[in-house]
Amino acid sequence: MSTLALSRYAFLITSSCVAVFKRNRTVIALCAAAIMLFLADIFTGGSTLLRYAVIGSVALGLSAAVSFGFRAFLVAVSPDKWAKEFRSLTLSASFGLIVIVLVLFTMVFAPWIAPYDQSEIVTSAFAPPDSNLWLGADQLGRDMFSRLIYGARNSVSLAMAATSAAFLIGTTAGLFAALKGGWIDQVLGRVTDIVISIPALIFALLMLSIFGPKSTVIIVAVAVVYAPRAFRVTRAVAGGVVAMDYVEAARLRGESTGYLIRKEVLPNCSAPLLAEFGMEFCFVFLLVAGLSFLGLGIQPPFADWGSMVRENATLISFGEITPLIPASCIAILTVGVNFVVDWMLHRSSGLKD
Amino acid sequence: MRDIFNLIGRRLGLGLVTLLVISLIIFFMVELLPGDVAQAVLGQGATEDNLAALRKEMGLDQPAILRYLSWLQGTLIFDFGNSVVTGGSVSALIGGRLMNTLFLASYAAVIAVPLSIFLGVVIAMLRNTIFDRIANVVTLTWVSAPDFFLAYILILFFSVKWQMFPAISSLNPGMDFLELLERTFLPALVLIMITIAQMMRMTRATIVNLLASPYIEMARLKGAPPWKVIVKHALPNAWAPIISVVALNLAFLITGVVLVEVVFVYPGIGQALVNAVAKRDFPVVQACCLIFAATFILLNLAADVGAILTNPRLRHPK
Repeated sequence: MSTLALSRYAFLITSSCVAVFKRNRTVIALCAAAIMLFLADIFTGGSTLLRYAVIGSVALGLSAAVSFGFRAFLVAVSPDKWAKEFRSLTLSASFGLIVIVLVLFTMVFAPWIAPYDQSEIVTSAFAPPDSNLWLGADQLGRDMFSRLIYGARNSVSLAMAATSAAFLIGTTAGLFAALKGGWIDQVLGRVTDIVISIPALIFALLMLSIFGPKSTVIIVAVAVVYAPRAFRVTRAVAGGVVAMDYVEAARLRGESTGYLIRKEVLPNCSAPLLAEFGMEFCFVFLLVAGLSFLGLGIQPPFADWGSMVRENATLISFGEITPLIPASCIAILTVGVNFVVDWMLHRSSGLKD
Repeated sequence: MRDIFNLIGRRLGLGLVTLLVISLIIFFMVELLPGDVAQAVLGQGATEDNLAALRKEMGLDQPAILRYLSWLQGTLIFDFGNSVVTGGSVSALIGGRLMNTLFLASYAAVIAVPLSIFLGVVIAMLRNTIFDRIANVVTLTWVSAPDFFLAYILILFFSVKWQMFPAISSLNPGMDFLELLERTFLPALVLIMITIAQMMRMTRATIVNLLASPYIEMARLKGAPPWKVIVKHALPNAWAPIISVVALNLAFLITGVVLVEVVFVYPGIGQALVNAVAKRDFPVVQACCLIFAATFILLNLAADVGAILTNPRLRHPK
């Protein structure tokens, strides 16, 4: 071991002793983490782990800085009413918003951004990246970068459609159950209990095996499995609102059920419902990505993030990270939505840690 | 005590009904097939005679209700009929695979459950420090990443870059236990990572919520050390929610297993299911779906029963 490494350990151990003496939890744990990192580094040989740790923290710092800037930008450009909301954004939620805006932009303008078409064969299979093909080529010689961009359009819009279907069915049923009560409520509740105990992936696989891998089948399967979640949340939230006096007053005025839903109940439970939509989107997006990964989602030649991972998986054994790029796109979008949902839930519930 | 038995009995009954309804769904879903199973197996070019022969062989000429009842009767003794692709018995096809999957899932669970509860308690003790924030962001990221993303990252580092564990878990019958553990380490690690994040978050949230209650304040004021406050005062009341989260996550593990098995080419039931779906081998699909759904329901049931049993208020009624 070199003197540099030895002095590094000596420094860490001394500082953790000082920290223990001073009873500073933060410093103790930081030192412990650093020592563990160095030990793991020796264990795996070479300084790869250390390098990744540095790259990771630099990336984290950069994204924090960008999120900070984005929040300041949002606060500056938006009108007063919105600026107040945006000021309460956490850094992670701001990061999530950036991701969502970027993905939406890519979805809409995919054909104009992508240099090639998604099914266009431009070079030989698995060609390495160069100045023309930024991320190299896939297993048939199609441009990875273009497929990634079209993939945003195909995968995200399928997940969106499926989530919207599930959410629409779930919330409508939930609102009706809350307003009508009685046997409708009971029956819907029992059906929900049963449907919610079917694992989503398994049900989707069953449907796909029967009706074949089509997008409509995926949408129907997801709608059936995830509608009960939306139903439960809506039923719980709307149940509280329905008990309010102003709803009673509207009822006594003789308003129709449709009016009650639209004007009295829905505006008062929109925040938790929006958060639930985000959360459900994450689940559905991961489910659809999993199905595509299994080769049962969006069918070729359409680009799709999940199936791109599977098709290029062999590259992993050569130490290439190409198949990880679409997978990380899935992860980043889900993380982004989750961060925003986290913030919205925090705001709407006034939860305090 | 009577109350507890009543509650548990009602819960078990509900679970049984759910299981029955799900078996109905799984069986009659295939009936929705455009045409019927025989048509799907033989394809468009089949002659009427061939179709009729196959229908007779598979018992399709009988009414659906009778077929459902005999199928249900068969499942009770682990007999799921014959595969329409290979012709062999389904239970022979998936029996060994089921054992492999159970091994993988329990391997992951044995490590993940204690570790996540321990980490959750530690993070709850460190709440509102920088570690808590970091753990929050990291676990949220973990929860959001698709299973196969984690799997491929682990393969990239552990088996390609550092060559510590094999990327493909091929199992042979004569392997000793240690070798088995080593071969299946990576898939188990993926499952551990998927489940641990969620369980940790929930353990932390439950304990932090409890720490705000007056009796914890009391324990603190009488001078109990922080770890004792958590382990002796907060934890007993936290068991019920923690148990339900653990069982729910084990249920997630059951579905996570499907993707993980495909990535690592692990000879388990999840891979059998995916292959059968691609080949439209309905008896195998039905059997696998029923097994997965039953496990899912049983775990949920265990969660509810566990929550009832560990609830101090129910155990010691006034």
